[in-house]
Amino acid sequence: MKIKQLSLLILTVIFVFGCSSKEKSEKPKIAVVVSTLNNPWFVMLAESAAENAKKLGYEAKIFDSQNNPAIESDNFENLISSGYDAILLNPTDSDGSISNILKAKTAGIPVFCMDREVNADDAATSQILSDNYSGCVAIGIEFVKELKEKGKYVEILGLVGDNNTWARSGGFHSVVDKFPNLKMVAQQSGDFDRNKAMEVLETILQANPDIDGVFCGNDAMAMGAFQALQAAGKETKVKIFGFDGASDVVEKIREKKIVATGMQFPKVMAQTAAQYADEYFKGRKVFPQRVPVEVELVNAANIKDY
Amino acid sequence: MQQTLKTINMKKKYLYILAFVIIAILGYNSVYFKKLSDVKNANKENFDFKAYADSIYYKGILKSKKTIALTNLISSVKTNQDAAFKKYGNRLGIGNSAYFMIKSTGKIIDIKDGIYTIADEKNGVVYIDTKYIFGNALRDASGLVKLTDFKTNAQFNKVSESLNDIVRNEVVPKEIKKVKIGDSISFSGAIKLSKKQILFTDLLIIPSQIKLQ
Repeated sequence: MKIKQLSLLILTVIFVFGCSSKEKSEKPKIAVVVSTLNNPWFVMLAESAAENAKKLGYEAKIFDSQNNPAIESDNFENLISSGYDAILLNPTDSDGSISNILKAKTAGIPVFCMDREVNADDAATSQILSDNYSGCVAIGIEFVKELKEKGKYVEILGLVGDNNTWARSGGFHSVVDKFPNLKMVAQQSGDFDRNKAMEVLETILQANPDIDGVFCGNDAMAMGAFQALQAAGKETKVKIFGFDGASDVVEKIREKKIVATGMQFPKVMAQTAAQYADEYFKGRKVFPQRVPVEVELVNAANIKDY
Repeated sequence: MQQTLKTINMKKKYLYILAFVIIAILGYNSVYFKKLSDVKNANKENFDFKAYADSIYYKGILKSKKTIALTNLISSVKTNQDAAFKKYGNRLGIGNSAYFMIKSTGKIIDIKDGIYTIADEKNGVVYIDTKYIFGNALRDASGLVKLTDFKTNAQFNKVSESLNDIVRNEVVPKEIKKVKIGDSISFSGAIKLSKKQILFTDLLIIPSQIKLQ
């Protein structure tokens, strides 16, 4: 009888400790929630974040929000109920994404924003963001010099609900608006999308065939603008400026078909976000709310470096 | 008699109730409870960026003891780049470059499109850009404004715009009126150095002050 009891006790102890040691050996799970996978730049951001999380020893899965805050909300609900331990987020909307981040925060899951800022400084654990404003100040200066301080131009904005759109536009206009002979004849959203930007510029060109420059809020739209101008036979006359540092635009700068872009560093943002999640798991709880990542101007003068 | 006393007491009671109701209504309408975060946000929205930038410029940048002689900075960077960047530079967040607030002296040898070419007494030729005073160079080189002082990047950048407006529209135009090619000047301002940088030629300075010597 005593042996039976002892055996039972030993089995119970093995079972309990066995279970707990299995729990401990389970890798924490990191969710990478990205605004869209329909743009190579964001694909690179998401894949790089997941890759860095895996390198640090975590399970990682990418969720696509398809530029839709409602889908992002569904993603958050799914990953909270699936027991994810941290979220590396590229938000869809600077206001609309706040409630999703707060849901995760309530569930005790840290959220590290990448690239896009949300309009709250107490929701995300930290936000690692491109210094869009400074990057577009540099582009604005280049724009004024290239157009010799005069002419008509078009601005193609990104998504209107995204803070990056306005940070870029704000940096650009903080310079260009000080030169009264530069006149903006149209400002429209191209939703950061190549085809949309092409269609938008085609329509604008019908009413304003004599423009001298186009400033686009990202490189996908700069490529769309180039296509529209090429179709209209104006690609050598109209100076195009983008933002991102996408490889196709860097090539166009090399070929002198696009004037300049702002080189962002998505891999640095993704790596920093994954690193912060790792530090969080290891006990760090205080992070800087906003971490700007430098943007470098790429133009004909320094293209050999890229 | 007893009836009269009772009526008086009743009237007093009604008066007290009436007074209480009036005080309660007045009290309710004169006190508002708001979330502290809402009040803080409202304060930031009404924030006087011009006055703040004035104070940063006149009380901070012009009186700063952190401004380093350009020749000393170059020498420090050549000796120990990391230590020099840490001690004299300011980099917000992640990047290869940092802003520094420097001072030096030299002779104006050319003026073209707002760029003053200076034969610096100790550092060769440097350029002062009096036209494109934009961006965060002055704010960040000063090291006087923290990212956490403001709720959003947009507000933080507005400090730069106000500071640049003061220097570009008020300070520099007055100062450059007094100088011409051939004059010796003292100057201070912001420069950006990269950690990839090996040569210290063609340095571009965003001025905070230009003085005829």
